[in-house]
Amino acid sequence: MKSRKTQRLMGDALTYLVFLFALIFFGGPLLWLLSLSIRGPQEIFITSLRLIPEDPTFENYTEVLYTAQFSVFLLNSLKLALAGSIGAMLVSAPAAYAFSRLTFRGSGGLLVGVLALQMVSPLVVVIPLYRYFDRLNLLDSYFSTSMVYIAILVPLATWMLKGFFDGIPPALDDAAMVDGCTRFGAFRRVTLPLILPGLTSVFVLTAILAWGEFVVPYVLLSDPSMFPISIGILNFQGNYAANSTNVLAAGGVLAMLPAIATFVILQRFIVRALTSGAIKG
Amino acid sequence: MTPAKKAFTRRGLVGENRPTLWLAPLLAVVTLFYLYPAFEVLRYSLTNASLLKPDYEYTLSTFTQTLSDPVLYGVLKTTAIFVVASIVLQLILGLVIAVAVNRASKRRLPGRVFMRSLVLSAWVMPGVVIGIVWAIVLNDADYGLANLLLGAIGLGSVPWLSTPSTALASVILANVWRGTAFSMILQYAGLQSIPDELYEAAEVDGAGKLQSFFYITIPQLRPILMINIILITISTLNTFDMILPLTGGGPGQATEVLVLRTYNVIFQNFSLSGGAVLAVIMLLISLALTLAYRRLLRSEGTL
Repeated sequence: MKSRKTQRLMGDALTYLVFLFALIFFGGPLLWLLSLSIRGPQEIFITSLRLIPEDPTFENYTEVLYTAQFSVFLLNSLKLALAGSIGAMLVSAPAAYAFSRLTFRGSGGLLVGVLALQMVSPLVVVIPLYRYFDRLNLLDSYFSTSMVYIAILVPLATWMLKGFFDGIPPALDDAAMVDGCTRFGAFRRVTLPLILPGLTSVFVLTAILAWGEFVVPYVLLSDPSMFPISIGILNFQGNYAANSTNVLAAGGVLAMLPAIATFVILQRFIVRALTSGAIKG
Repeated sequence: MTPAKKAFTRRGLVGENRPTLWLAPLLAVVTLFYLYPAFEVLRYSLTNASLLKPDYEYTLSTFTQTLSDPVLYGVLKTTAIFVVASIVLQLILGLVIAVAVNRASKRRLPGRVFMRSLVLSAWVMPGVVIGIVWAIVLNDADYGLANLLLGAIGLGSVPWLSTPSTALASVILANVWRGTAFSMILQYAGLQSIPDELYEAAEVDGAGKLQSFFYITIPQLRPILMINIILITISTLNTFDMILPLTGGGPGQATEVLVLRTYNVIFQNFSLSGGAVLAVIMLLISLALTLAYRRLLRSEGTL
């Protein structure tokens, strides 16, 4: 019979074995990308596992930012991500409040309907819109494109925000209304401020999703100066890749950095929002 | 609020305690960007519409042609392999990491937060960048990271992206890299909700670690695993961004999944109606998955 102590030590060793595997599998490709992004052209094709190049350089970053116009693409992504997530919050917050607080016929069915929207591929949404926007002269427009971003983010935002509203006792709204607030006043002055952590996490999560959105701008935008980073980098890969993998790698680092940094800083909020959205509804 | 306005809002349909105004923006978005497109996709699937000419007429022939096209079945088979393999691998890998992170946080072992952040970083990256990262890592030449690692343990290089079977495996690998984080988060939340008493009782009864895992952990996680399977299926079916930079659907059509095929039929072959038929198939799949999801949430008493 093994003693409890050796059993516990074996468990710890096993835990770190899993960590080591995850470190290599998840961290390896990212480290490799970082390593390539600081190599000069003569060090791309070396067949050794050395991570830090002999002659590290940041030229790839300046080249990709200014010559390949990634600075424009990054700014475009930021605009679209902010428009999409702010719009999605404006549409979702009142709806989520109604689903959480008001009793009305068909509320359960509607909520499932919203869930169903989350399962629809953005491509299916965009196909008819492409033709429709073409006729209305709304292709290559940030207005129409951000509207579609909003539409795609709304289902997720509504479900998550409803979860956060459910966590606040309705008695607080009622008290505010007894004190003379209208229901909208109670919503704006009492309930919304109380779910501020929830609002933050839904905002950040939708902004991160919008940052990486691909299908919608791929179909609706054709003017390269309007491209978000996801399309900009795909075109860059198609045009130059083979002998400038190091520049492509620098572009990849720049494209993922904002999403990862925002996420890591605010992950405590987001992880909670994610699980409550999927499990508790 | 002015008295006149107040009198207005007291009425039945638009009062503050009625859902109408609260839901109006949502309903507008849903109608314009979901109901209308769904209707249009259905309508186009019954026509011979093309992106190249404005006129079209109604016909059932696009439906019959698309459904009798052997290419469709190849695409569906590829999609099925992609989805099933992603589910199996993400569930297992997600569970293994979740168990490790959960144990580490109970024992307060260092490194657990870093681990969780690292795995989740893969998930928050833009899909196109994930495809590019893996296209670089799985470069067919000897200087790709995967082939360098194989070389380091004395194995020869693999043409990851240029033969049909390895290309599909590569796409699955990249998808698992991306999606494992979500499985891990769900299952970690599930693990934390299992009461410690269950394990203590099992230990008193003489159960070993493995037995408690299979007789307590797995059954307790079952509902979350089911939800997880549905969500992985959805996100894998809608995966499009990652595949383009990685394989572009090739070599040949080896990694052309349903959503990519739909895009290509419309925007490469300009057949709006043919793509609409495929989009209808996608809509039907999402509908079926939604019903399954609703049933699960209902049986958990959360809806």
